[in-house]
Order: sequence, then structure tokens, then C-alpha cells
Amino acid sequence: MTMSMSEPDATSDSNAPAEPQEVDLVNQARKGDLIAYDELVKRYQQRIYATIYHMTANHEDANDLAQDSFIKAFQALKSFKGGSSFYTWLYRIAVNKTINFLKQRKHKQHFSLNDLDFQAENNPDLVALISDKTPLREVGLTELQKKLNEALLKLSEPHRMVVVLHDVQGQSHEEIAEIMDCNIGTVRSRLFYARQQLQGYLTEYAKPA
Amino acid sequence: MNQTEQNFENLKTLLKLKQHEVPPPGYFNKFSDQVISRIRAGEAGGSQSLIERLQQDVPWLGNFLQIFETRPGLVGGLATSLCLLLVLSVIFSDHSDVAPKNLLAVSEPAIASTPSSEVASMNDAPALTPASDSSGIVASTNPVTSLQPTATLFGQASASPLFQPAGFMPAGQ
Repeated sequence: MTMSMSEPDATSDSNAPAEPQEVDLVNQARKGDLIAYDELVKRYQQRIYATIYHMTANHEDANDLAQDSFIKAFQALKSFKGGSSFYTWLYRIAVNKTINFLKQRKHKQHFSLNDLDFQAENNPDLVALISDKTPLREVGLTELQKKLNEALLKLSEPHRMVVVLHDVQGQSHEEIAEIMDCNIGTVRSRLFYARQQLQGYLTEYAKPA
Repeated sequence: MNQTEQNFENLKTLLKLKQHEVPPPGYFNKFSDQVISRIRAGEAGGSQSLIERLQQDVPWLGNFLQIFETRPGLVGGLATSLCLLLVLSVIFSDHSDVAPKNLLAVSEPAIASTPSSEVASMNDAPALTPASDSSGIVASTNPVTSLQPTATLFGQASASPLFQPAGFMPAGQ
């Protein structure tokens, strides 16, 4: 599978039967229908996993936490009032679970990075970063990936979360504010501060334009 | 703001590298099955921890307890202070037992100054201990027998509000 982790599964087949509405699936799952919940899991598994993985930089931890988040969401479905979308609510569960986990393992961080897909080598922007424009010509994408993850792990959990949700996952400020239960101003200031920090850690690769 | 955004352009490009990190092939094919089988195994709710259940029912209490979960140092500190409190309370309760002895020690000279005949008569008075109770009523911790009138210093039953003297007086007299 070569699809980017930040994008949901997209089916463009017009002959395919219409996908059931999220609200219907949630209502069915609330009644204990595991087939409906399985459909919801399939819809959001990639995005939830990717968010947690980018936060932890560890595949095994991300796998456990993503599964736990979905299980907890199923158990808590009765308390889901529908004030926000199921997707935002699920994200909030995953974010809280991840932040709590990271606080616990604060001093025991270890990488278990996923492989880069072949598209990374063909991405012109990334190639430019490691081409002759970069002072360290010998650096490869894998090395760059490691340094990027190290820099991200130096950020505090809320700052890292904002960068991951916005710059990696492509969520809007409003969505992030809803997921992280804070106001948009806080999201913007966290994002600015986090980027500044990252730029400081990665001066060789991310110099201001 | 646009200037600031431009300053971070290289960084944003660099962060795009994260999008190319993918889990092992076929990982997501099994993911939902694993989640559903775990839900089935736990039968949704049976495996919930106390904190998780509290977070659903009483969110503020759940969040409060979660503080302890994420900060083990805080739990240690709280446990230490509770132990300290327990030790201090034990020490102070011991002191409260000693205090009357001290009071007696202070009043000893006063007893010593009383005439010896008075002291002797006090010694002759029946003791309050069950072993030497001359009235034959044995004091005990048993709630039924403890309601019985106990001997006093003067050999009479104490006037307890629980025991009223009963008498029978015919209406005609």
C-alpha cells in the first residue's frame, strides 16, 4: 500500500453502492452492532494510527494505542452525545490516550520507525532538500527521517500534536482546536512556537526561505 | 503572517517526509479485525478500568485520578504524607494516654498532704474493678451487662438515667 497515511481511503467507483452515513453507523454501533463499528474502524484506522505514530515515532506503540482508542471509543459510545462529529470525538480519545501514554514513558523513548514509501524518493521537494542545495550532501532520506523524528520528540506533547495534526495530517486550526479542546488562538501560538523550535533543531535542512 | 509562513516553507516541506512513513504492507487489512476481536473478547465494558468508567460517569473525578496515573511521583508523595500523618496520629494518641498520668503526678503532693486516716478510709472503699466487686455485679464490655448498675465509690448503685426506681402504688391508697 503506497497511499499516504494522512489520507483516508477514497473509493471513486461510481457504480459502488453508496456508503452508509456515519450517523447511521454510529447509531447501529451504539446498539452493539459490531459490523457497523467495523466499518467505522476501517474508515478512520489510517488517520488515527498515523496521528499516534507521528506522535510516538514507534510502530508497536502506535498499534497498541490505536487499537485501545477504538476499543475505548466503542465502550464509550453510549456517552457520545453527538455534539461533535464521531470523527472529532474519536480523535479526541486517541489524542488524550497518546498524550497520557507519552507522559508515562517520558524517559523511555525509543524509535521503531516505519519504512519510507518509494514515492518519497520521487518527491521533488524532498529531493531538493537533500540535493546539492543542502550543505550535507551525503545525507539520505532515511537519515533525514531519523533527524526529523528526533527533533519532533524534543517538542512538548501539545506542541508536537499541533504540528502533527496541522503540518503532517493537514487538519485545520478549527478542527485541531476542537480535537484538543482549546481555542484557535492557542492552536496558532502553539503551532508558531513548535515550528520555531523545530527550525532551530533542524537548521541544516529547514533554513528560513 | 505570510512572511512567517514563508519562513517555515522549508520546514513544512521537510515535515511532508512524515507522510511517506508507512506501516508494513497489509497492516491495515488486519487492523479492524484485531480491534473487533478484542472488543468481542472483552465484551465491551467488562475490561474497562475503574478510571475509564469514572471518566465516563464522573469526568472531573476521572481526570483527577488520571493525574495520579500519569505522575507516579505524586502518588509516592501522597502515600508518604499519609504514612507520616498516621505515625504522627499514633504518637499523639500515645501522648494523650500519658497526659492523665502527668496530672496525677502533679496532684500527688496534694494526696500526700491529706490526713492518713482519710487515705486509709479511701483504701477501704470498694474498688471499681470487677474482681473485687462486692455487689456481685460483674462489669463487662458486653452491652447487655454493662447496662446493669455498677458499684460506685460509696457502694451504691449509680443513678443512671437508664434505670428508674420502680414502685407500685395501688390507686386507692
